[in-house]
Amino acid sequence: MLGRRRKQVIDAVQLALILIAILIMLVPIAWIFMAAFKNHIDVFQLKLFFTPTLENFGTVFEPPFFLGHKLMNSTIVAFVTVVLAIPIATMAAYSFSRFRLTGETAMLVVILATQFVPAVVIILPFFVMFRDIGLLDTRIGLILVNLAIVMPFAIWMIKGFIDGIPLDTEEAAMVDGSSRLQVIRNIVLPMAAPGLLTAGIFCFIIAWNEFLFALILTNKDAVTLPIGLALFKAEEGDLWNLLSAAGIIIMLPMFVLALIIRKYFVQGMTMGAVR
Amino acid sequence: MRDSTLKYLLVLPAIVVVFATAIWPLIESLRLSFTVGRLSRPGSLEQYLGFENYIWAFLYEPAFWNSVWVTAIYTVLTVGLTTVLSLGLALLLAPGGRFRSGVQTLLILPFAMSPALIGVSFRFMFNPEFGLFDAVFGALIPPLADVSWLVDPVLAFAVCVMADVWGWIPFLTLVLIGGLASVPQDTIEAAQVDGASGWRVFRDVTLPQLAPVLAVVVILKSIFSLKTFDQIFMLTNGGPGTATQTLSHYIYFNGMKYGQIGYAASVAWLMVIPMIFLTYAYAKFVFRKE
Repeated sequence: MLGRRRKQVIDAVQLALILIAILIMLVPIAWIFMAAFKNHIDVFQLKLFFTPTLENFGTVFEPPFFLGHKLMNSTIVAFVTVVLAIPIATMAAYSFSRFRLTGETAMLVVILATQFVPAVVIILPFFVMFRDIGLLDTRIGLILVNLAIVMPFAIWMIKGFIDGIPLDTEEAAMVDGSSRLQVIRNIVLPMAAPGLLTAGIFCFIIAWNEFLFALILTNKDAVTLPIGLALFKAEEGDLWNLLSAAGIIIMLPMFVLALIIRKYFVQGMTMGAVR
Repeated sequence: MRDSTLKYLLVLPAIVVVFATAIWPLIESLRLSFTVGRLSRPGSLEQYLGFENYIWAFLYEPAFWNSVWVTAIYTVLTVGLTTVLSLGLALLLAPGGRFRSGVQTLLILPFAMSPALIGVSFRFMFNPEFGLFDAVFGALIPPLADVSWLVDPVLAFAVCVMADVWGWIPFLTLVLIGGLASVPQDTIEAAQVDGASGWRVFRDVTLPQLAPVLAVVVILKSIFSLKTFDQIFMLTNGGPGTATQTLSHYIYFNGMKYGQIGYAASVAWLMVIPMIFLTYAYAKFVFRKE
């Protein structure tokens, strides 16, 4: 009897702790969501009840903020980064997965290591070079440096997916006379497609949230959404209602994408060190 | 085409990209670190000084040492707090079931949030007039009722740590839940049958088996803590004064704001050195699984 009573208490304590954790986790997000629907007076008060307005979502797209322009830059930069990175990474991942290459381990370690190089180290020479060849404040420049951060993830993640595809179908097709490239196109790519999509979404999120490169390389034409957040300052201080509306525009699409690939998030981030 | 040629052709583009976007800038940064390197004087990027930038950082720049300390304390605190709290949350959520799995799904959300946005939202939450966390802390801990969080050096640092911990706990919790799932259930049950208490089971059975995953978590988090920039930039911009200026922020300021790119590159390279050790340790765990 006593044992069961004790178990009930433990369960209740656990439940309470979990609920507190959820609360701490969701409150800042919820607060931003609420602030985005407050008018410019309510947002400067600790109000839980207010008359919601959609006005902020209109204002952020108007002058002088032009969030639409940043939204477009972010979309183009993240999309093109992914479209370039995934095919290149897939080719390499297939080769690493299926063949023994001279210096394979060294190459894989270097690729892994590049993820850990501080972005601020990479960006100094790129700033000088882009200034000299006129790529500062362009989307092309931003896409090129973004490849530095997505490539290692993409290669390791896709390699993990291809490692999981059994060899027999490939071997059977080779015996039947298909060439290696035919095998890749007709067998491996269709089977790896969900994995490629996952890796693509993962890289899209990384490129979309990227901050330091865009901060240093852009100032007007190619400014992306995270940098655009700095716009919502007036002489009297931060315009929190507009900042929050912009924040939602930045995070909501990423929430949706992250939920789609949630099963692979851990594996992707740890490059397979934890499965 | 023969496989022996094809296999190298397939990796070639990736190697070219990695070389151009990561290896070249690393080497070029190293070269810049030995030059006068002023952005405003074009010739100075080829004007060599030897180790003068490094000596300057070590001997004449209190701000450099300040950022080293800020980064070190920040790393120790964020790694320690996130690891312990994530482990606690992972243990709470690991048993599964509908409710706990639902919570696990929610954990994805903070991690999909851009760190810059996390910085912004914490600045909002700790606003002394209308910040929600400011109000909650003030109500729970009366001495904190009238403080301006981001104006006080210690409290501003504490807010930066909280924002970081908040942003990383969900992801590390998911990693640790994965780790807990791979701890064989029968050893735990055997220990329970032998009459071991919950704490003893955790300490003597679960924890040793979880050690490799915990090591991965600590290394990975250390790397990201050492690099921290986005949140700090949006939250305090290194302030008040230089109280929250991390190494990345110090490098950014010297390189971009003051145009001393040679000096910035030398500090950047000093930051690469601990990364090499951490990456080496991390690579050992990744390849152990192969």
